[in-house]
Amino acid sequence: MIAKALAQEALACAMSGGADFVELFGEITRNNSINMVDGKIDRVTDNLISGVGIRAFLGTKTVFASTSDISRAGLLKCARSVAAATGDLRAVEEKIVLCERMFPNIHPAKIIPTSVDARVRADLLRAGCFAAKEYNESISQVSGTLLGVDHTILVANTEGLYTTDRHIRTRMAVSAVASAAGVNQSGSASPGAGMGLEFFDLVNPVDIGREAARSAMVNLKADYCPAGTMTVAIENGFGGVIFHEACGHSLEATSVAIGASQMAGKLGQQIANPKVTAIDDGTIPGAWGSVNIDDEGNPTKRNVLIENGILKSYMIDRLGSRRMGMPMTGNSRRQSYEYETTSRMTNTFIDNGPDKNEDIIASIENGLYCKKMGGGSVNPLTGAFNFSVAEGYLVRNGKICEPVRGASLVGTGSEILQNIDMVGQNLDRAQGMCGSSSGSVPTDVGQPLIRVSSITVGGR
Amino acid sequence: MVFEQMKNALIAAATAAGIEQYEIYYQVGESISAETLKDEISAFSSSVSGGICFRCIVDGKMGYASSELMTEDAMQELVKNAISNAACIDSEDEVFIFEGSPAYAKIDASEVKLTDAVTIRDTALRLQKETYAQSEKVGDGTQSMAMSSVSEVRLYNSRGLSLSNRTGMSGAYAAAVVRDGEEAQEAFDFAVGETFEEVKETAANAVREALDKMGATVAPSGKQNVVFSGKEFRNFLAVFSSAFSAKNAQLGLSLLAGKEGEQIAAPFVNIVDDPMREDSPIKTPFDGEGVATARRAVVENGVLKTLLYDLTTAKKAGVASTGNGQKGSYASPVSIAPYNFGLMAGEDDLDTLLSKAGEGIYITECKGFHAGANAVTGDFSIESAGFMIRDGKLAEPVKSFTVAGNFFELIKAIDSLGNEVRWGIPGRTVFGSPDVLVRDMSVAGK
Repeated sequence: MIAKALAQEALACAMSGGADFVELFGEITRNNSINMVDGKIDRVTDNLISGVGIRAFLGTKTVFASTSDISRAGLLKCARSVAAATGDLRAVEEKIVLCERMFPNIHPAKIIPTSVDARVRADLLRAGCFAAKEYNESISQVSGTLLGVDHTILVANTEGLYTTDRHIRTRMAVSAVASAAGVNQSGSASPGAGMGLEFFDLVNPVDIGREAARSAMVNLKADYCPAGTMTVAIENGFGGVIFHEACGHSLEATSVAIGASQMAGKLGQQIANPKVTAIDDGTIPGAWGSVNIDDEGNPTKRNVLIENGILKSYMIDRLGSRRMGMPMTGNSRRQSYEYETTSRMTNTFIDNGPDKNEDIIASIENGLYCKKMGGGSVNPLTGAFNFSVAEGYLVRNGKICEPVRGASLVGTGSEILQNIDMVGQNLDRAQGMCGSSSGSVPTDVGQPLIRVSSITVGGR
Repeated sequence: MVFEQMKNALIAAATAAGIEQYEIYYQVGESISAETLKDEISAFSSSVSGGICFRCIVDGKMGYASSELMTEDAMQELVKNAISNAACIDSEDEVFIFEGSPAYAKIDASEVKLTDAVTIRDTALRLQKETYAQSEKVGDGTQSMAMSSVSEVRLYNSRGLSLSNRTGMSGAYAAAVVRDGEEAQEAFDFAVGETFEEVKETAANAVREALDKMGATVAPSGKQNVVFSGKEFRNFLAVFSSAFSAKNAQLGLSLLAGKEGEQIAAPFVNIVDDPMREDSPIKTPFDGEGVATARRAVVENGVLKTLLYDLTTAKKAGVASTGNGQKGSYASPVSIAPYNFGLMAGEDDLDTLLSKAGEGIYITECKGFHAGANAVTGDFSIESAGFMIRDGKLAEPVKSFTVAGNFFELIKAIDSLGNEVRWGIPGRTVFGSPDVLVRDMSVAGK
């Protein structure tokens, strides 16, 4: 994409403003998406993203410039603007010598989605959408998307690194609407992986469609969730969004390093119930949130964030590392070359705990069982979070009873971490797109069934 | 220039492939920003970005392909991909390459320029100092930022339509973090402008708002009279604006389907979409299909006057496009969206609204709309913060509660509207709202 000699030239040019470190990030991404609605394929798009971002460090100050013009002239213009904004131009450019490095590919993809005829891919999506429509006659509308991403990055820096990585992702999302008597209710399913189309050997599109329709039908029959403070059991998989929002974001150096996180300065402290062990692991083969190397060229790792309730580690990028005086953790990520990279999650989950799942439900006298969670958001400073319940049931006398809709869970991270008082044993992960200052990146959330002793449930 | 070269390459490739109906959409933009931490510039960034989208009709189906790589080879690839993508489509909706509207609004783009780097740095730095100067409680995590961006769009099609538009804006924000003992709070304010003098009030606004939140407790559960601040109620419009899309209505994904001409809101509710809103630095005279845009009353005196249409949905409904077939970016397919979509002001100032509410909650912060609100069903349950209203006056701060309801019931139940519309950060799609009083909302707290 960018030849070594040109990368050397651009780095040297960017360095000439007096920076102590410069990195160059190049990208070529082919995105393909197929959309289906109302039983018909209605959009097929291809998009080629191509550009370069150059970032210079002067201590903990950064200068960043990006361009979609990757010609030599465009690249050097970008590098010069970095140098000019860093400080006074020096007359002499230092020579940069890059050494090419290859990292092991632990997420090999077999069938590159963007290289397969769009008609073949469209058939996979049809299977998912038709299965949802056929699930029940009350299913009034189904929409679906099949996404294929072929993402090649190049990272070069003035420490001499020159490396590339290629990352393939596939995801199918089906959303079903069930209607009766002027009421619409929806359900969705959207599994994905850091794999090619061989992902559909593991996950049948028909099952994706059926799951979306099943959830919509449950909600159609559900009444509004009562509001109040309750004991809540949250199911595995996407239920892990609770940890992602309530705690994960507050452990990113982005907010920790500048003191804008409630978790700053708490390493070694008991921040969660001793049953809670939480991990961020970018090395899980073929997982949606995995990458071989992060966007600063560091291999990803398995980082234990919380062990038996004690805070063990943050997620740290290069800037955070300089600000905090701690090593990088392989968590630097960005949506594209246009974003300045920063510390982000990869696959983040609460690990299996000591409790049997049936004991968790049986322990709840009056509460809520959240079978499927929707998305949420958090303020890292105060830890205040919210997330929506996509499929929930009331629990009475230790038994799961009728479904309820429209519920949300709100609270603060520090409280809920202490209130997770039972942790089950069916760890599973689910896929999401996480938004933050460096854009939208694929992440997995996950957990086994957990019990939260007390949390505010919004409903009506 | 690049656009002309790529256009010629695309025309040649399209002609060679026997394509008669096509459109070329090109977008290029530049931006710069400076960010501060403590008392210095911590980050400075600039970007140049551009991309080109080619779409064409093959056997009545529209295929798309787009690229940031501006080479002749890449353009040939675009034409090839767009043709093969068209072959996959089985939607029977009629698609169009547009001949052009009779007239387009004229925009004076002579003032549109990128603010220089020196001014941007100076504005960010002085704003940061001003923010710290507001209170001794302002501390770590406080950040100020100044930015400027310009963007140019060109649209050319095989029916001879050739349009361009240039927009830009400069602005700054202050994000204040205040601490008192163990408690930390933050608040944020944005203003349009280039120089420190133009944006300096954001410092005082952000700090005051953050300080006001100190000591908040969880709000009590129950039915409450709620006054939503316009800054938050506009987010409801943002989420539920998709229900006004004719595409969603035609697909059965909007509860407003078939309601044109019917009363859908309280009789004093007016919602307007204005692509050329005077106070907005971003004005859009044509949409992503080349259709001229215009100011439209979407809801008038509570009656739904029109949905928002693009060419395809308009044809299906037997009406004219409202010029709402937007492209979010050069790469996006045409999709229906509003421009400056605002709930118009009523008559009451905030004091009057509070006094009408008597007892209740003034909501100044809502979070998590992407998860807690469903545009298809209208249901929402939103994490909120604000202040208790006691005896018609603002009282202690409250937090960590949800307000829940259904948007389509809510707009019928609006009791009164404030007298000033608060617009969001300028962009192609912006939402605005005055303060809104609604009685008996479901609030879940402690």
